[in-house]
Amino acid sequence: MSYRTAIAAASAVAFGLVSLAAQAAAEIPVGHLATYTGPTSDVGQPYGKGIEDAIEYINRNGGIDGRKIRRETVDYAYQTPRAIATYKGWVSRLKPVAILGWGTADTEALVRFVAQDQIPFISASYSGHLTDPTGKSPHIQTGAPYNFFYGPTYTDSCRALVNWAKQDWESKGGSGKPKFVHMGDNHPYPNAPKEGCAAYAKEIGFQVLPPIVFSLMPGDFKAQCLSLKQAGANYAYLANTAGSNISLLKSCETVGTDVQFLSNVWGFDQESAPAAGKAGDGVVFPGSVPLWNEDVPGMRIVREVSTVSDPAGTQERTLHYVRGICSVFLLRDAMEAAAKEGEITGPAIKAALEQMRDHVPGGLEGVCLPHTFTPENHIGTTSVVGYRSHWNDGKPTLENLGTVELPRRDDWLGW
Amino acid sequence: MSLTADSMRCGEFRTTYKADTTIFPTPRSRNFAIAGLIVLLFAPHVLDTYYTNLLIQIGYYGIAALGLNILVGFSGQISLGHSAFFGFGAFASAWISNNFGVPVILAIPLAGLMTTAVGMIVGIPAARIKGLYLAIATLAAQFILEDFFNRADWFSGGSAGSVAQPLNLFGFVFATDKSYFYVVLFFMVVMYLAGSNLLRSRDGRAFVAVRDHYLSAEIMGINLTKYRILAFGVSSFYAGIGGALFGHYLGFVSAEGFTILLSIQFLAMIIIGGLGSVMGTLLGTVFIVLLPEVMEALMTTLGSQLPGLERGVSYLKEMAIGLAIVLFLIFEPDGLAHRWKQIKAYWKLYPFSY
Repeated sequence: MSYRTAIAAASAVAFGLVSLAAQAAAEIPVGHLATYTGPTSDVGQPYGKGIEDAIEYINRNGGIDGRKIRRETVDYAYQTPRAIATYKGWVSRLKPVAILGWGTADTEALVRFVAQDQIPFISASYSGHLTDPTGKSPHIQTGAPYNFFYGPTYTDSCRALVNWAKQDWESKGGSGKPKFVHMGDNHPYPNAPKEGCAAYAKEIGFQVLPPIVFSLMPGDFKAQCLSLKQAGANYAYLANTAGSNISLLKSCETVGTDVQFLSNVWGFDQESAPAAGKAGDGVVFPGSVPLWNEDVPGMRIVREVSTVSDPAGTQERTLHYVRGICSVFLLRDAMEAAAKEGEITGPAIKAALEQMRDHVPGGLEGVCLPHTFTPENHIGTTSVVGYRSHWNDGKPTLENLGTVELPRRDDWLGW
Repeated sequence: MSLTADSMRCGEFRTTYKADTTIFPTPRSRNFAIAGLIVLLFAPHVLDTYYTNLLIQIGYYGIAALGLNILVGFSGQISLGHSAFFGFGAFASAWISNNFGVPVILAIPLAGLMTTAVGMIVGIPAARIKGLYLAIATLAAQFILEDFFNRADWFSGGSAGSVAQPLNLFGFVFATDKSYFYVVLFFMVVMYLAGSNLLRSRDGRAFVAVRDHYLSAEIMGINLTKYRILAFGVSSFYAGIGGALFGHYLGFVSAEGFTILLSIQFLAMIIIGGLGSVMGTLLGTVFIVLLPEVMEALMTTLGSQLPGLERGVSYLKEMAIGLAIVLFLIFEPDGLAHRWKQIKAYWKLYPFSY
């Protein structure tokens, strides 16, 4: 070997080592669209905190395949145009391999973009429209091949509540058809379960009243409560987020309605119960994670994650915070599976997610529900956990009503 | 030594009316504008996407703001509904190109025309009312249109919004910021030249006459109703074009973006830039688009210097923007265009500025 080839070989080896080292150290870019301000910030804050803490926890514990996640968080204030502008900025600069998103309006607006750019998008919107990757459903315009989320769809959650309402009506000895009404803003998020849930309610013997509109921004909703009272509804489904729902419950308490309130998954939680006061007594809402004080094996890791932003470990987190952790850990498992197969890219993460069969994110047994995604169906789970709030004269508690297992009906895909 | 056109000038002397109403006040300002345009042609190749994006924003907001300045600065009326017209243009262009197979490059001017029609309808009250009353009438238009966007599923996709196709010209898709910059620049140049030219025309002089003294204008034979409504039409055309450019740039149009806040931002652009000045409109748009970005950068540096401040940075930013606008209005009530004139005068008269 001549001197020159020796140098060439040595430099080639050195270059190879350097690039290997660079690859090992390279961070995994992930976008995080959060809403810390704006109309849904009441529940956006705990969820976003859950995501931030979970990613930090993963990074502190070895990252993914030795690589750390580089999270870029942008507060888009629940404004779709801002979310899209942020997304476009990310595609040209950050080049994320996955995005953790938030609302229904922006997620549905981004469906085509993420499909084109092949970036898996884990939303906090559980809109049924995001569950049909091939676009066969008559209820959507295009398929959403790169959209995923943790937990049951809004519509399935609502269907489970309607099931519960039916039993409640019968157990109370109600006669005739109970009346069901959807209440929410005219916005993609409250609208998402509107038709699907109403159709199901009708199917199992409810009389469905015309929907009542009330703003996502908390306000005085006595007018809406009066229409609710006048319509004689028995069960009202509140499709907005907690802040707005609490104002409605309070307004309806003043008006004096006799209605059993049901709420969306983002519509009520541990923090809403004291805020709503007596008006929030008896509200039934769905969930997909256990309460903070429940004793299940996976809660150990959840509490460790929580100490990232709360070193004392005294804070009691809401259901939204824990759902944020489940979303991140679902993505982490998909990234790890992708890394095992080769590189962590958008399509590889999508493929890994679509291979999950009754998958519970590692370490979170008992906390996160088992999820199954296939290339034709992105409904991860159809199990809905029900909760009921009890006021108890100032010591509010949440009662676990048990889990409803809904069937996986073909005509419910994408609805 | 005889005086030639090349020797140093000690002033602009016009001997004909024609020379007094050129688009650019001096040959030098024309040359500067052309040179600036040539520099801009290279901008997207030199700047990174972040800056290109800001330039594009300045472009489409600048076009819409010029429309508002024609209405407010030149014809002396007021509109609190400009963002609704901006939104209407965006939805209309998406609607035309999605449903009728019209290419985007034609859909944009068509959307401008549709917005003109809407603007003229909204402007009808202007025939009867002025000032604050007109402001409230246009405010009503803002809310009516906003609600229309939220409910008209066939037109705007309702609350879910609608997709706007990227501009496609002979098979070349203007999907990146780099390429779309040229589309916006083209429309910007055309619209600004048309705007400056309008003000040299009979109609433009009529706008100014209506603004300065409507009674005298009427006695001179100017049809007040016609010109007031026409001003709304022209203003909406500009807003519609700006909105359509915005829609096809973002690729998605949703009603939430076109609130009263944006209308007020448009007003801020022209007040800060200078009412009744084409140049000022552009300067004001640059100011309003760049201010949050500059503040963000400033506050981030400040935040990293002073630990414990990171959390407050976003609030500080909003406060700083408000403060900058207030200070600006106190110390520069005539707008950036006026300041620009003073700077020019200073250099022209240097060193004998008395």
